[in-house]
Amino acid sequence: MFTHYIDLAWRSLKRTPMVSILMVCAIAIGIGITMTSLSVYHMMSMDPIPSKSDQLFAVQLNTTDEGTDWWTEDNIALQLTYKDAMFLHNQESAFRKTASMKGMATVHMNNDELKPYLAATRVVGHQFFNMFELEFIYGGPWTIEQEQLAAPVIVIDEETSEKHFGRPNSVGEQIYLDDRSYQIVGVTKNWDIHTKYYDLNNGAFSGVESIFLPITLIEAQQLDNSGNTNGWKFEEIDSFESYLQSELVWLQFWVELPDQRTKKDYESFLFAYLEEQGKLDRFERKTPEYKLRDVNEWMEYNRVVSEDNKVLVGLSFLFLAVCLANILGLLLGKFLKRAPEVGVRRALGANKRQIFLQHIIEVSMLGLLGGALGIVVAQIGLWGVRTTNQEYNALASMDLSMLLAAPGIAILACILAGLYPAWLVCRTQPAIYLKTQ
Amino acid sequence: MSEIIPIFRALLRSKAGALMLLIQIAITTAIVSNAAFIINDRIQYLNTETGYPEKEIFSFSISSFGEISDLSVMLEQTEETIRNIPGVINASLVNAVPVSGSGSASTFGSQPSSERGEEIRAAYFTGDEHILNTLGLSVFDGRNFEKNEVVVGTDRNAVAQVAIVSKAFIDQKFPEGNGLGQTIYFGNDPLKIVGVVEEMVGPWLKDNQAQNVVIMPIARADKQQKFIVRAEADQRAAVMRQIDDILLAEHNKRVIMFKRGMDEAKDNYNASDILMLRMLVVLIVVLVLVTALGIFGMTLFNINKRTKQIGTRRALGARKSAIVKYFLTENSIICISGMLIGSVAAVFLGNSLMTRFSIPALDINYILTTAVFVLVISLVSVIFPAIRAANIAPSIATRSI
Repeated sequence: MFTHYIDLAWRSLKRTPMVSILMVCAIAIGIGITMTSLSVYHMMSMDPIPSKSDQLFAVQLNTTDEGTDWWTEDNIALQLTYKDAMFLHNQESAFRKTASMKGMATVHMNNDELKPYLAATRVVGHQFFNMFELEFIYGGPWTIEQEQLAAPVIVIDEETSEKHFGRPNSVGEQIYLDDRSYQIVGVTKNWDIHTKYYDLNNGAFSGVESIFLPITLIEAQQLDNSGNTNGWKFEEIDSFESYLQSELVWLQFWVELPDQRTKKDYESFLFAYLEEQGKLDRFERKTPEYKLRDVNEWMEYNRVVSEDNKVLVGLSFLFLAVCLANILGLLLGKFLKRAPEVGVRRALGANKRQIFLQHIIEVSMLGLLGGALGIVVAQIGLWGVRTTNQEYNALASMDLSMLLAAPGIAILACILAGLYPAWLVCRTQPAIYLKTQ
Repeated sequence: MSEIIPIFRALLRSKAGALMLLIQIAITTAIVSNAAFIINDRIQYLNTETGYPEKEIFSFSISSFGEISDLSVMLEQTEETIRNIPGVINASLVNAVPVSGSGSASTFGSQPSSERGEEIRAAYFTGDEHILNTLGLSVFDGRNFEKNEVVVGTDRNAVAQVAIVSKAFIDQKFPEGNGLGQTIYFGNDPLKIVGVVEEMVGPWLKDNQAQNVVIMPIARADKQQKFIVRAEADQRAAVMRQIDDILLAEHNKRVIMFKRGMDEAKDNYNASDILMLRMLVVLIVVLVLVTALGIFGMTLFNINKRTKQIGTRRALGARKSAIVKYFLTENSIICISGMLIGSVAAVFLGNSLMTRFSIPALDINYILTTAVFVLVISLVSVIFPAIRAANIAPSIATRSI
């Protein structure tokens, strides 16, 4: 019966080609526009590390005087001072944690073969890779001993390795950053995440780094921060040492707390630390204030999905509603015109349910066609988004879930629009139509 | 007008189709008025006067490595090399590029910072005596920097003695208008205001104090040094193309990066607004098109359904104009009720956007304009099918099915 209904639906669509095309186009445009904004929204808000986004926490400590203004909603700085970050980083613990900083360096091979280039670097602890699930294809992270000794070691990604050595495995080779040489201890695979959730300071979608250095090199080699540095009070800073000891905030700090108990313990540890620091007259604050936010909370707090995007998604769904009202009107006309034919079918023994089902299958078919064409429209829309700015390159694309969602939403929407016309037509009284024939 | 009541009664007999049209028009009115308002808001923002000739200016960074005896001398030399490129008007070292979204800001006080007095926040730029000319600015009150006031070297803590500020800054700091020649404090260091520029903005256009800018005469050389260059507008592309080779020929232990025009930098900073603008324009254009097609299709369908009735009316003596008027009136009834509902919906939508997001309150004029526009569109899309209906021959009515 089902295939027969599909056959009937197809014949019906062919009988009124203009109206069918009009309806399919209306759905396609509605779905296309909706999927364009929904895809960008989906990519922006997607959980970047679903396996443990509830175990990774960004740490915030409020080490400012009471009444200091930040632009964050809870008035706490996004980053930590060097001394706080390094204290937390060096604490003995069973769980993983890392301080993190964005650096910048001229990368070269100290010869004329490769043109030197400027690259962003990520300066972190050796547990960073494990915490953020960045996998190695050769070698591994530097050891804790190397980190403590501030050894000139480096981890690069596959692409960088290919660029410098023409092969993916370059463990043991030397590479130059500015005027120093570093030994490669590991090669990671190219990191394929589009939201740079571990450091949202300089654009959430600005691309991840491909060169990683031990955090202890900041002090040993006086590495400069190329991310954001913020201060809240005047300090006389005349040397690198006083810069490190200052109240300026410029490092991120992440901790991986596997369960509630560890989290509780860590919170009381932070509380005790802040209480003790408060006594040292670093800041005037009655009660210590800290925040632990997991990955999704952190993205929400940093407003990774812009307001504009939410507005657009809302408006595009309203737009889809207009397209549906349009289709509903057209379907009404189309189905009612067919009443005499339905009358005959009813007289020959088809029951209401069967008539209803037949028409619902017809509108589902419309939805499927419209959804498929809608994907094409959405691709054009996403291409338009990508041409606006290269930052949107990774964001303006449809993943599998979105590709499946497009016909899904289209069919659902069409069935919704088709319910009333199908119900009207299945109520047809056979007698009336048989009389006039 | 006496026809309205019978037309209305006829509408009630097939209300579903009319209702759908009404809903369409209502939602269209609500969306278009709000979207047009947001579009206008963004266009105004994107066209904010920056004070710079954006199409003449470009910027880049030089990252130097290897053994360098005197970085400052080397970069001064580089500056001179750039100025000698044909087509270049001027060039200067800077700490940050205006309207690019990255730079430095600080508070500037009436007393040294250690005394914690009243302070005003401003973005600051540093450069040599060429910086104003390079940015295409001129001093509106006071004077430009003199060569001997420029602090040269690589010392990070070098301090300037004088500053040129924007009018917005000096008006806020010295509301009495006697700011020129006064002293402000950058940290603990005093700066004498020697000049005022009427219009310039800092690196962040979205800052609520974007116009507060202080320029200090410091040409401090850095291992990663930003440069800005102003060239003749029609020659900027050519200069940008050849500058890498010229600068690498001068010295090869360096990397030239982040080369881009000021207009490009600004577009990059405003990418999300430009995207929103484009998406909304596409949205409302397609929306209006879909609605117009909907009205068109509905009327066509109605005419087909009523061919016999129209023929009969014509046979009974109705003029062609009466038929056209019938459809116009019918459509207007639906359209005007849709618009009324849509206008109320627009106000609600505008309100909820305003409370949930940082979007200003919807201007009523936008709703009115949109309503009139939608009415015109609907009349245009109904008139052609209506004329077709009017041309139905009376003889049709006399034929049997």
